[in-house]
Amino acid sequence: MDFAPTREQEMLRDMVRAFAESELAPNALSFDEKGEFPFEALKKAAKLGLVGIINSKEYGGSDMGHLARMIMIEEISRVYPPLGFYFQTGQIGMYGLQNFGSEEQKKKYLPPLCQGDTVMAWALTEATGGSDASTLQTTAELVGDEYNVNGRKVFITAGETADVVGFVAKAGDGTNLLLVEKGTPGFTTPRREERLGLRSIPVSELAFTNCRIPKENLVGQEGRGVRLALAGIGAVGRPGAAAVSLGIAQGAYEVTLRFAKERNLYGKAIVQLQAVQFALVNMNVETEAARWLCYYTGWLLDQGKSPGEIGPDIARAKLYATDVANKVCLKAAEIMGGYGLSPEYQLVRRLRDALELLPAAGAQDVQRVIIGGAIAR
Amino acid sequence: MNEVWVIAEQRLGKLMSVSLELLGKGTELARQLKVGLAAVLLGDKVRALSRQLVCYGADRVYLGEDPRLRLYQSEVYADLVAKLVDTHKPGIVLIGATSIGRDLAPRIAAKLKTGLTAHCVELRIVNEDTEKPQLVQVVPGWGGSLMVNIACPVRRPQIATVSPGVMTKCDWEEREGEIITLAVDVQQELRVETLEMVHEERTGAALEEAEVVVAGGWGLLSAGGFELVEELAKVLGGAVAGTRPAVDSGWIPEHRMVGQSGKTVSPKLFISVGASGAPQFTAGFLKAKVVLAIDQNPNAPIFDVADIGLVGDLCDILPCLVTELKETGLRI
Amino acid sequence: MSLNIIVCVKQVPHPEHFSRITLDPIRQTISREGIPAVINPLDLHALEEALRIREELSGKVTAISMGPPQARCALEEALAIGADDAVLLCDKSFAGADTLATAYSLACGIKKLGRFALILCGNETIDSATGQVGPQLAEFLGIPHVTSVIQIAFEQGSSLIVRQALEEGYMKVRVKLPAMLAVAKGINQPRLPTVWAIMEAGSKEMQIWGASDIGATQDMIGLEGSPTHVTGIFERDTTRRREILEGPPRQIAKKAVNRLHELIAT
Repeated sequence: MDFAPTREQEMLRDMVRAFAESELAPNALSFDEKGEFPFEALKKAAKLGLVGIINSKEYGGSDMGHLARMIMIEEISRVYPPLGFYFQTGQIGMYGLQNFGSEEQKKKYLPPLCQGDTVMAWALTEATGGSDASTLQTTAELVGDEYNVNGRKVFITAGETADVVGFVAKAGDGTNLLLVEKGTPGFTTPRREERLGLRSIPVSELAFTNCRIPKENLVGQEGRGVRLALAGIGAVGRPGAAAVSLGIAQGAYEVTLRFAKERNLYGKAIVQLQAVQFALVNMNVETEAARWLCYYTGWLLDQGKSPGEIGPDIARAKLYATDVANKVCLKAAEIMGGYGLSPEYQLVRRLRDALELLPAAGAQDVQRVIIGGAIAR
Repeated sequence: MNEVWVIAEQRLGKLMSVSLELLGKGTELARQLKVGLAAVLLGDKVRALSRQLVCYGADRVYLGEDPRLRLYQSEVYADLVAKLVDTHKPGIVLIGATSIGRDLAPRIAAKLKTGLTAHCVELRIVNEDTEKPQLVQVVPGWGGSLMVNIACPVRRPQIATVSPGVMTKCDWEEREGEIITLAVDVQQELRVETLEMVHEERTGAALEEAEVVVAGGWGLLSAGGFELVEELAKVLGGAVAGTRPAVDSGWIPEHRMVGQSGKTVSPKLFISVGASGAPQFTAGFLKAKVVLAIDQNPNAPIFDVADIGLVGDLCDILPCLVTELKETGLRI
Repeated sequence: MSLNIIVCVKQVPHPEHFSRITLDPIRQTISREGIPAVINPLDLHALEEALRIREELSGKVTAISMGPPQARCALEEALAIGADDAVLLCDKSFAGADTLATAYSLACGIKKLGRFALILCGNETIDSATGQVGPQLAEFLGIPHVTSVIQIAFEQGSSLIVRQALEEGYMKVRVKLPAMLAVAKGINQPRLPTVWAIMEAGSKEMQIWGASDIGATQDMIGLEGSPTHVTGIFERDTTRRREILEGPPRQIAKKAVNRLHELIAT
């Protein structure tokens, strides 16, 4: 057993922290207020090699691995969770292309994605359900050399921003994973969902109306669409959501600790009050526990485990880290009183972001179903 | 025991105030050691300045004049001073920690292979009645949270640099001193040559780097706005900042806001004007060396986090403060 | 023109944690336990300038540091940011060095490295802030130096025109190579290491040299070679004084300015 980070991982953390503190922290409030996608920050992150962190160098990635990715998303989300959340979903697509895509698809899409010049989304959920793929209603019918696609997708992160979307549709008896590019006739993003948190990352509805997609846009084997999409969510989305939650917890804990050291009551800093101290201790311990569940997940993936083999491990990390993020933010709001909900204290945006993590990459109960299935067997 | 020396600094024919401040300290040290105090002055046509050095405490001035010494020349200045020190063997050499003093002092110390202590805030003599009196040099360490005593027990001279404003100059006293003219002959080809000195007024210093930050708050509203703060900052060569309400009122841009969601500053002097002292504001200057707060409400929490508090109408106090600062010329 | 550029870096405690540096009142030693270490911030500007010069004119950038074994982390970081190779001067006998002994040791290490055109370092370190090692190093190497450098431009031949910052304004200085320049913050914006570079840093060369490797004379290094000694450390009281002045404005303004003089000076 070895719990020590490598020197590379330490330097990565330092670098991402410095990046987040200088590029994200000063703008976090205004990004959030405006609700605009942080394109500039994404580009800068890409130049540092953070966007293509699990893609191979051949296609412009930096290939540092999944544990490195967890650390990276944690550090980004410690300061500005929405960008971490984009990595949660955007990198599913980049992982999908890398592992299931054709040579042509990789060459075409991955380099600009790794450069932060383009944005990718991953679309599975429909109005009738998310994780239950049997209810899929979007169809892709092969007509000559093209698929004719009809249907709708909902709650698609970065849907309206994405230059390319990987989505799943029913095709004959099975399901296909297909790519659609922004601007393809018949493909629109009619509605942007109202959002409580993660406000600079849009969530959109996608609509396909007799949308013609060339046959080459099929990713992986015919008929295996849902399996591939879920593999991507399992290996990248769910651990990513866990890491975003971890970062939120850490960030909120630090804000609260700093506040408790500076805020005086009855002549002493409130951090000296045991009631406050114990609450901070719980935040500290739970965040640390979440951290190790997250890192373990990244480490398992780096060992070459498939998301199928380690489903419960991944689910544990997401379930627990997201719970902790919400708990920490709520307790923090209590400790900070009125300041907790004042935007300039940077807590309330984290609280809103934490709530968004509850349904992301599989709702909390979906994680319980996965773990429950494993322990009840 | 040998003389105490001050390496005086002049820029474009004007003595730097730190040189006079060092003569003040040097007078005290020399008296304690029962030795003479000398100043070294290099430049071109600067003989007239010798009188100032004498009247502020120097018993003797070593004067080196040459057209090529008009501007600071690191190589020549260091060579001249090191040779002079080697000849006359002073016990203590004090140098002002200006940008030029800090360029010169280490080069001299390295030439003489002796000790140099930077940014001393206190200098005192111990063992003054023994064969080897020691200069105790006190410097702040690690961001100023700790203070360190440093000595140079064996080698001589003991060289120290001191920042402007730390020591106090003596009162001007009409007295006579000895002027020793050095034979300066700058023949060598300079490997490093100062070509020109460009003077620029300090304006709008970056907040985080500023040595003085003057921040205004809501209380300035009734005082008619931000001009008073700007004037105070100008006198001190400091940066203007403000609280969240000052930003919201459009008095200062967002990037000049101090506090929880703004900048954290740690200047030598932080002045809060008309701010009540909400924790989201005071969190931004916890590490300032000295905090001066001005507000009309004597119960304002700002006074709990201030070293000096002035209670009263801002319109009355600020102009008095500006006048007073102009007169005394506080150097930070 | 291809230049060998040497960048001196120092590992320092993270400035955000200075308040956690405490004093053992009996042993008179500093406890830095658990305090993360970083490259001295201004040294990053020196490294950045070196990398920019290399990118413009081609050449090689070598990072050098003197310190305990863990100082290798600072050099690894310098390699990740872009230095080509690195040297750590590490020996028990270097311990306790003041700026003069440090400068001498660095000079010995740099002599062993061979020909160079330029040495760059930060104008001062954030922990002791003396700004002395650079000029003293230049003296030991017998080369010219300029401190507080905020701009570097290459001239025809082998000289530079640099701007040396003053309190108000700057000096324009011509300096012949080889030279030592200590850079100030305004000179550039340092880059961060990329993920690619972090992963390549491990394969770059890092030499570790002791005192005998660089031919350093024992009585010139470490505590023995240091003319200055620390004779005491004490804590500074940081609680605010809360001296509240009320009364006629002119009177309290005068009083306040007098107190400011005293407080700022100590």
